[in-house]
Amino acid sequence: MQATVIYEDGDHRWIMFGRDANKSGGIIDTNQYMIQSGDQAILLDPGGIELFAPMLSAVLKFVPADKITHLFASHQDPDIISSLGLWDQALPKAKLYSPWLWESFIRHFGMERIQFCPIPDEGQTISLGRIQLQFVPAHYLHSSGNFHVYDPKAKILMSGDVGAALEEPDAPLYVDNMATHTPKMRKFHQRWMPSNEAKQDWIRRVRQLDIDIMAPQHGRLFQQKQVGEFLNWFEELPVGIAVR
Amino acid sequence: MATPIFVTAASIAAELHQAMLEAKGLALTAKNARALAVRAGSKTVGFKAITHFIDELASDIIRQSQYINGVSESLSQQAVALWRANTAASKFEWLERQQLPWGESLRESMQTCYEERERLSQLLHRGLRELEAQLEEGDKHIRTANLIATSSKVEAASAGDFRAQLEVIAHNITITASQIRQHLTNARRLLNQKQV
Ligand SMILES: [Fe+2]
Ligand SMILES: [Fe+2]
Repeated sequence: MQATVIYEDGDHRWIMFGRDANKSGGIIDTNQYMIQSGDQAILLDPGGIELFAPMLSAVLKFVPADKITHLFASHQDPDIISSLGLWDQALPKAKLYSPWLWESFIRHFGMERIQFCPIPDEGQTISLGRIQLQFVPAHYLHSSGNFHVYDPKAKILMSGDVGAALEEPDAPLYVDNMATHTPKMRKFHQRWMPSNEAKQDWIRRVRQLDIDIMAPQHGRLFQQKQVGEFLNWFEELPVGIAVR
Repeated sequence: MATPIFVTAASIAAELHQAMLEAKGLALTAKNARALAVRAGSKTVGFKAITHFIDELASDIIRQSQYINGVSESLSQQAVALWRANTAASKFEWLERQQLPWGESLRESMQTCYEERERLSQLLHRGLRELEAQLEEGDKHIRTANLIATSSKVEAASAGDFRAQLEVIAHNITITASQIRQHLTNARRLLNQKQV
């Protein structure tokens, strides 16, 4: 599991984990993120059960276990949070922030110790160490209860499955050329995103944010210029049509 | 290939459930036999007496099957919990070997996990021994059932006009007893196979 610091300002850090060369075949490659501030840290979409050990090992190179105070699951998918039953044993005092809609489903992954903190439909702001994090509604993108995470200080938006591309593990970290990148995203977005209306609502919302990096859960990250290009591309893309 | 205990325990529960259904059938046979014996009158007094034994035996088997069923179901659940604790423990052991900068910070969670694994594995062993004892108890019921079946045949022989009908009933008892025995044997075979 590779770890890359994508933002650092004093004790405020964003670390991306992914491009796991050792992961078994047939498993979709995922990006996990950790935000640190002061003596707290949050794991964003900590990943599937297959990833638990390499993930925890990678994380403990940066922080002690008791400083991982928060977990976030943007939605209920197995590649997002099927590792929960094991985190539950490793981080018994942690809190899991996730859409309220999915609570009774996510508990099926096994959660006896970790505390579930339901995020209301309209979103929520929490503090982590010395910073504030916003849970931005992204319902129906693709899950019926879905949030992204915005850090206004680092100007990073963790965008879950939006902006996802299926790539080789050795692909570069950042999108360099949108013209060659969009073909890698088109089918995924058309098949997985069910609602044009929800898509437009999200674009309206995200255009109001000041974003330096958009960090999806699969594939490359977008820098400022490419974020604008992505939003324009996504706006024009009809979704929910791939089975026609 | 070794089978996980939670699969074995669930399979044993299923065998015992089948045994219980057979025993319910046996209770019905006893009821029919008694009705017939009453109609047949004095010639079948012996058979009528036997039906009480069948009835009693059937409800014993039902009670015991339900009990074993409960034991094996909770055993299966404990085994799943143990499997989860084992999974976590093996990940923790792997992490310990990594000598991570912050590895020590996991100590408390690891300890809890290892203790839970120990507790569950003891619980499981006790449960398995209990199951073994119960299955042995079940064998006694089978021996009783065979005795009853033999006596029924003898009684049927002297029941005059009702002989044929009572012989069918005696035959039913034999069949049912052997089916229950088969389920108990299956359960014991499951219990004796290599566990993980
Ligand atoms: Fe998803
Ligand atoms: Fe995903």
